[in-house]
Amino acid sequence: MVQTKFVLDENELPKAWYNIQADLPTPLDPPINPATKKPVTPDDLKVIFPMELIKQEVSAEKYIDIPEEVLDIYRLWRPTPLYRAHRLEKYLKTPAKIYYKWEGVSPPGSHKPNTAVPQAYYNMREGVKRIATETGAGQWGSALSFGTKLFDLDCTVYMVRASYEQKPYRKSIMQAWGATCLSSPTDKTKSGRAVLEKDPNTTGSLGIAISEAVEDAATHDDTNYALGSVLNHVLLHQTVVGLESKKQFKLAEDYPDVIYGCVGGGSNFSGACFPFVGDKLRGEKPDLRVVSCEPTACPTLTKGLYTYDFGDVAGLTPLLKMFTLGHDFVPPPIHAGGLRYHGDAPLLCKLTHDGVMDAVAYHQNEVFEAAIIFAKTEGIVIAPETAHCVKATIDEALKCKETGKQETIFFNNSGHGNFDLAAYDAYHDGKLVDYEYPVELVKQSLANLPKVG
Amino acid sequence: MKKIGFLINPIAGMGGAVGLKGTDGDALGKAVELGAKPMATERAKDTLSQLKGISLSEGLTILTCSGSMGEDALREVGLQYEAVYEAGNETSVADTKAACELFRELAVDLILFCSGDGTARDIYRVVGKSAPVLGIPAGVKMYSSVFTVNPAAAASVLEYFLRGEAMVRDAEIVDIDEDAYRQDILDIKIFGYASMPYRPTLVQGRKFVFHGENEERSKGNIARFASEFMRDESMYIVGAGTTTKAVCDALGVEKTLLGVDVVQNGKLIKRDVNERDLLGLLGKGGRSKIIISPIGAQGFIFGRGNQQISPEVIRRVGVGNVIVIATPYKLEETPYLFVDTGDISLDRAFGKYVSVVCGYRLAQRKEIQAAS
Repeated sequence: MVQTKFVLDENELPKAWYNIQADLPTPLDPPINPATKKPVTPDDLKVIFPMELIKQEVSAEKYIDIPEEVLDIYRLWRPTPLYRAHRLEKYLKTPAKIYYKWEGVSPPGSHKPNTAVPQAYYNMREGVKRIATETGAGQWGSALSFGTKLFDLDCTVYMVRASYEQKPYRKSIMQAWGATCLSSPTDKTKSGRAVLEKDPNTTGSLGIAISEAVEDAATHDDTNYALGSVLNHVLLHQTVVGLESKKQFKLAEDYPDVIYGCVGGGSNFSGACFPFVGDKLRGEKPDLRVVSCEPTACPTLTKGLYTYDFGDVAGLTPLLKMFTLGHDFVPPPIHAGGLRYHGDAPLLCKLTHDGVMDAVAYHQNEVFEAAIIFAKTEGIVIAPETAHCVKATIDEALKCKETGKQETIFFNNSGHGNFDLAAYDAYHDGKLVDYEYPVELVKQSLANLPKVG
Repeated sequence: MKKIGFLINPIAGMGGAVGLKGTDGDALGKAVELGAKPMATERAKDTLSQLKGISLSEGLTILTCSGSMGEDALREVGLQYEAVYEAGNETSVADTKAACELFRELAVDLILFCSGDGTARDIYRVVGKSAPVLGIPAGVKMYSSVFTVNPAAAASVLEYFLRGEAMVRDAEIVDIDEDAYRQDILDIKIFGYASMPYRPTLVQGRKFVFHGENEERSKGNIARFASEFMRDESMYIVGAGTTTKAVCDALGVEKTLLGVDVVQNGKLIKRDVNERDLLGLLGKGGRSKIIISPIGAQGFIFGRGNQQISPEVIRRVGVGNVIVIATPYKLEETPYLFVDTGDISLDRAFGKYVSVVCGYRLAQRKEIQAAS
């Protein structure tokens, strides 16, 4: 009998998050204050973040303790199970062993509360009354609504318009947790109004929604900002996923040869893979392959430029060194709304740029084809975002079928698709568009811009 | 035992390679002056050569017209037929109409014809919906839905029809609004609805001219992007259509709505070119590209309305230097894009997918089907 789930007891929950900055051979390039052109200081950030998170953002400590109050809430759904996908393996007739970490068991249905809860906690501790944030697919907005409610904070969520319209029940669940959800761009902020004036029919973007949320926080004394991905402290919180997975792989007496994860801002995959990447950085697992999976419609890592850029459209955030498609890039309205971001986490980008990690991009239709295979074999209807790494996993498993190699493949199953069924309908109706980024023509257009100065 | 009427418009398609918008009226004489050669008979033979097996197994009777209006092609292919209409040496619209009157009287089950929109309209005027029609594409203007995607597909559809396995549906007979066209406005007039046999992917849809604010905004976004990347000093062969016109408007260049123009560094090099013009310009060397838009809901990148961009032209430019542009709305109505250059190996060189620019720094991957 092949074991299906590897489960940890509650008392095996990690007690500390893992900070990969401690293991980087060269330090991360710092975020830059666009006004001073110098690295940001804690004072620059305390307008919108609590001090404890600012400290985590810049820390080089290898492990940072998880507060007991946060662990207490984690226990509502953690540790999450590691599955052996032997039904999928049988369907593919592959010799590969496929494992996935199932984060869809959390109340919001994804990995996002792993950071929403501590962020809400640290803000509550420092007297903040309200948190403003953005959300693409609605996963982060749902999770923060859940997290803030647990600590009696108010929450305002700026949801990218395309997703607001495609996934109405995300708004419903946020409201069930007491949050206010707005379709971004709104007329409530200067940055929102500026976008609407230029293009009243825009489908919106995460960059625009971030601008609105940051502006909201910066202009209200009782309000802070929380980000669902990209920043170091967010990736830090998510390492609870990878730390649990390492223990579970020990139970399975196995270790991954290759790890896949979907990447929009980078938090779910970083959380899952960084504890393993640390092994690679320390020379313990030099042959480990770690591959980010993204949409061809928003191919930040595979087609973007590695440079400093704003994290948002209006230029309100610091400049971050990352792969970027340009902060004014509005990704097309693909159903994987959580992957519609022009940049990526600086930590993940650095590891990709330095060759420690790799990246691949897929079209919408092939991604949903993979999601359907997964639903029919493993039973779970996954989020469109997650389907990107399922596609990669299936491709890898089929390669193993050709070569006979018995690889161990691990992916982070970051969330369920129960609110994304309209996307599945669109796939079945043949209505999904395979958007892609015409990188050569874009390079051509940029090469021919007038030179100034 | 099924009975079909078959006719060819022997001059259909002659205007294409020489840059004329059809062979109606004075256009034929001009086409001949410019060196145009008849091509409809060869296209018809492509279809007919695949009917031999069908005619034997299904007991098919083919009624046709004498000489170049059908008999010659059937004889050359080796099919049995009966020439029921006697055409003169110089054929005309009157012959088409008279032949169709006869086909109707003889109660044919279907009329198979080889031509373009003009002849389709003439046939419809006589036949209406009294018998299904099926068009082998050979004209310059083929915006009507009665044409299959290529000559071989016509044979396939006919086979399904004869076996009772094809649906019969309404198919638009359209043509350009000539008055609007003279004012450089592309507007399609529907003349009526014929009946035609139908199998998915084997027939082409009516060319829709998409209107509305979103369509115009999309064109503007595409045009803005194209005007940026077209500053690379390449010579651009710009295909016909409203989307390519929007690109030229963004460049400040006057565009021939239904013709092919050549642009370089934001300037018009040559207007309303034919194949000879293009080959001459390409012969001067330098980097060149083709920027082209699919034809409406039909989805043809090459082979419909822009035959000046001949296989030789495409080969000299290079398949990799073909840039396809289309609005999202046009692409939504077009399940596949088709390529029918007339050169099968060139059609196949386009591969399975093409990236179509559909917005500002945005593209869609579309599946291409070679018309063969």
